[in-house]
Formats: sequence, structure tokens, C-alpha cells
Amino acid sequence: QSFKLLGFLDVKSVPCARESVLYGSLGSLVVGLGHFVATSRVRRSCDFAVGGFICTMLGYWFYCRYNLAQHRIRQRMLKEGMRNKILFEGSSLDPERRQTGNEKSDS
Amino acid sequence: MANHSQFGFQDASSPIMEELVEFHDHALMVALAICSLVLYLLTLMLMEKLSSNTVDAQEVELIWTILPAIVLILLALPSLQILYMMDEIDEPDLTLKAIGHQWYWTYEYTDFKDLTFDSYMIPTTDLSPGHFRLLEVDHRVVIPMESSIRIIVTAGDVLHSWAVPTLGVKTDAIPGRLNQTSFITTRPGVFYGQCSEICGANHSYMPIVVESTPLTHFENWSALLSS
Repeated sequence: QSFKLLGFLDVKSVPCARESVLYGSLGSLVVGLGHFVATSRVRRSCDFAVGGFICTMLGYWFYCRYNLAQHRIRQRMLKEGMRNKILFEGSSLDPERRQTGNEKSDS
Repeated sequence: MANHSQFGFQDASSPIMEELVEFHDHALMVALAICSLVLYLLTLMLMEKLSSNTVDAQEVELIWTILPAIVLILLALPSLQILYMMDEIDEPDLTLKAIGHQWYWTYEYTDFKDLTFDSYMIPTTDLSPGHFRLLEVDHRVVIPMESSIRIIVTAGDVLHSWAVPTLGVKTDAIPGRLNQTSFITTRPGVFYGQCSEICGANHSYMPIVVESTPLTHFENWSALLSS
């Protein structure tokens, strides 16, 4: 089952979406309530709350997607490394053999 | 293939499609932020009394010029990155030609041996159990997985389009013109697509089926077909 915000953003299947919306809501509450406590102005506090929601949501979204992209790149490098290890193990192209050879020649 | 009542993309089977899905999610998140703001502003407008006291609004005009510019940059940068990524063609491991006809596809593997075959849709009455209606073909396009494949698409009569959504590929087949696209399949499997340019009465009945297999199986298949 999917849960679509405003009818189009499926927060269950899109990575980072659920956390972004939740953190955005929390940020909105904090900023809105904080402004109201400080100034007692309802209308302006609502404006700040909406602004806080958008900024927190987008801010966490970029942070989370950046980390996800780095994670995916590391996954691909790991997959490539594992495949190369299996392919080249014992041959002259084996990176571990080259590394051991370098260490021996250094010592 | 797509499930019934599917609204979103199919799962990605190539790196380009993965990037496209990521960009789509990113664009939707930006759209959510904009929609939330617009919804809030609409609510505010509905609660305000109408007034003609405003004579100039320098600050708000500045905001609603700069903010859309920022939004455009947020969307344009990843979009252009993917656009240029899609046009990169490294040394392909295999080149094959897809020629559109009314109403079937012809595939030519001419890199190593002259291997040519036609790919017709299997009629509904001839389907085996487990086959998909209007999607199965008699001869699939078999390609080795995790290899760079270049496809040259053209047509023999009218316009067609060679499209496989899960690979993120859609290339027009134009008579007298060769269009080139490339992709890498990240996993083995069977990927379905359909002709995507109106080409006559049976436009909906010329599907595309790409079968991605390990290299050994691909070699066996090509040897079998050549003999």
C-alpha cells in the first residue's frame, strides 16, 4: 500500500521522503511555536511555521539524498571490487598480489 | 513489465534509469514544497478582506523572482547532468540494430556473425501459461548483462519507436535515419517494452522483449541461432 502526500509523493517507497516530511513537520512546529512564544503574533508565527516546514524538509532531503548517493557509490565500488577479486585471484592482475609484491620490494 | 493500475516507474534495470528515478523523486519533493507553499498562500488569501491599498510591493516582488530562480537551478542542475550522462557512449561491447516495420521488429547482430531475425508478437490464442498478453514475442533480443550495449534504431517504412521503460530507453525509429542509444543492464532478467510511435493499425501489437543473460548463455544462444 502506498501513502501519497498531496496525491503524488509516495512517502513509503521514496527513500528519505518519510524522514524529510517528519523532520519538516517537527521543524515547522518548533519554529512556529517558538516564534509565537517570543512574539505572540499568530499570523506571523504561521508564516514562520510554513517557512520552517519547507526549509527543514528540503534541508534534510538534500542531506539524506547526498548520503544515499555516497552509499550507492560505495556499494557499486564494493561490488566491482568483489567481482574483480573473484575474477583476478591468483593471476598477475590480482591487486592483492601486486600490493604484497610492493611491500616485499619496499622491505 | 508494468502491473495493472501501476502509476509510477517500473524498477530500474540500468544505471541511467536509476538516475532518472532519483531525479523524479527529487523533482517531486521540490513540487511538494511548492504545493505546500501555494496551498498556504491560497488559504491566507481566502481569509483576507479584499483591499486596494497596496501601491507597490518591492519586497514580495523580489522574493517571487529570486525563489523561482533558485527552484529552477535546483531542478536544472541534476537534469542537465543526467542529460549529458545519457549521451555518453563509451566503447560498446556489443552493437545491434533494431529496425521497425509494420508491425514487427527486425534485429541484426553483425559484430561477430551475421545474425538477423524478426520479432513478432505472439497472438493471444497462442500464448502459453505464464505468458503476458500483448507483450510476448517469438524471438527475444538477448543481450549479455553488465555489458555496454549500443543499439542503432531505424525503420523500414513508417515512424516507430523502440522503448523499454525499465532500461530508460526510448529511441525513435525513423526511415532513412540511424539513431543511436546505449545502455547497460545491471541484472539478468526479461524486460518488456512496446512500440512508442503511432505506426498504423497494429501499433499496439509490436512489443519489444529484451532478455539479459550472463555472457556464457548469450554465447550459447548466438551459436544456436547462427547454426
